[in-house]
Amino acid sequence: MKVDVQSLDTFNQLAHEGAEAATRSLTQMTGIEATVDVTRISLLDREDVGEELRGTAFAGVQFGFEGALAGETVLVFEEKRVGDIVEALMPGGCADESMAQSGVEEIGNIMMSGFIDGWAEHLNATIDHTPPTYIEREGAAVVPDGPETGARDQVFVFRSEIEWAGEDVNFYIYMLPGYGSMAELLAEHVDTAGDAIPIEKLAVFNQMTREGAAKAAENVQMMSGIETEAEVAQLSFVPIEDVPRQFGEDTYVGTVVEFTGTPSGFLLVLFDEASAVTVAEALLPVEPDSDGLTEQHESAVTELGNIMTSGFVDGWANVLQQSVDHTPPRLVHDMGQAIIDPLAAQLGRHQRHAFIIDARMQTDEVDFESEIHALPNEQELRAALDELVVDRADQLEADAEQIF
Amino acid sequence: MAEVLIADDSEFMRNLLREILEEDHTIVGEVENGVEAVEVFTEEHPDLVMMDIVMPIRDGIEATDEIKDTSPDANVVMCTSVGQEEKMKEAVKAGADGYITKPFQKPSVMEAIQDVVPS
Repeated sequence: MKVDVQSLDTFNQLAHEGAEAATRSLTQMTGIEATVDVTRISLLDREDVGEELRGTAFAGVQFGFEGALAGETVLVFEEKRVGDIVEALMPGGCADESMAQSGVEEIGNIMMSGFIDGWAEHLNATIDHTPPTYIEREGAAVVPDGPETGARDQVFVFRSEIEWAGEDVNFYIYMLPGYGSMAELLAEHVDTAGDAIPIEKLAVFNQMTREGAAKAAENVQMMSGIETEAEVAQLSFVPIEDVPRQFGEDTYVGTVVEFTGTPSGFLLVLFDEASAVTVAEALLPVEPDSDGLTEQHESAVTELGNIMTSGFVDGWANVLQQSVDHTPPRLVHDMGQAIIDPLAAQLGRHQRHAFIIDARMQTDEVDFESEIHALPNEQELRAALDELVVDRADQLEADAEQIF
Repeated sequence: MAEVLIADDSEFMRNLLREILEEDHTIVGEVENGVEAVEVFTEEHPDLVMMDIVMPIRDGIEATDEIKDTSPDANVVMCTSVGQEEKMKEAVKAGADGYITKPFQKPSVMEAIQDVVPS
């Protein structure tokens, strides 16, 4: 089965419009002014879905849906904001907890009906959904299991984020269609004469990304002694203009390189400021002269970024039996959106959509978290996937001793 | 004791290599790009060049090619984060004598040097 960029775009647009319909329902019912911030389609391992929700308690509603598309979906928000949302729905407050839950269920029901109906309309078919179930769960546990049961099964996830204007409240929609159901749907809509990619190659590429992230994590550990694990690897598809919003307003320190070959593009290795200091100090043989991020820290972070970049892309090159060159790393220290904005603009001259390849690694040992993001040229990524021989996908490492 | 030239654009990595090597070898120079590597090699004729690949202005494979063109007996060990088979083949073609992948441990550096410049 194959998927093409046009159908990915159509389904991304559908999810975005569904989130907008849900947002309009929210505004009508509660007067809450909200906007859809981000919508993305991702392909990732089931166990990685919702990792970004780690450490926060959520409340919301869950549904199952079936018909032209089958799967599970949730609409959630921070549990501590339930009161604010119920207050908006029923001004004056609601002392009865079961009434508050019922209110949340009803908001969720109406919002998610708007979300699902758009899909049914586009597919010119029926999608039924179950009654809403009120849920309160911690972090990623809020995301439904979906039809797949294996932790390493690949799943398609549609994720939308809705912002309550002027308030620090976000609503998250996760839709997990069954992999088979979604793959069939994508295949039905594929333009076979165009730029279609076999879906299994996307899944294999994702696996290569996970291995690349594991190699990058191994390099961090070898250099710094900080025990590091790759946590998430995913391939997402977003309109190019939405790319900067995926990176938020937090400040990062890290490196950017431009890579050339098949594919070409940009690769970022980013640390939050505290992690940058932690990892740099683990690399430096002597304690730096002053606090904060010194030139010594920056030099160490730059070299670590360089080595992590190679760990990440070398596997692609070896599997594809090509070389992927990259520029020397450029140190960046800025807000996420500001770092990515010029890179997205540069890619946007040639393409309307972007595939973003993300990996995250962290450790419980010390305060350390790092992200790797690759933004390949879309056409060249398709060409690379076209050339990808699935049977070679485990040939990620090269042995210098054999060659020299 | 061999005379070694270190070519790497990272100050951090130059320091690390110097610390590993200076106990047993003499560091005759540290440079940040391939152009400087060729220049200092021509002036100093060290026994060994530890050459990074990804460097600004001129990369390590081009610099190795140029050094080997004029001095076929020169010893060059690539010392790089790049672990791509095609790149290793390019390094062989340019005349590199060894290849160490970063991150490395001291024994693997010493072993690679011993292979190329036996003491």
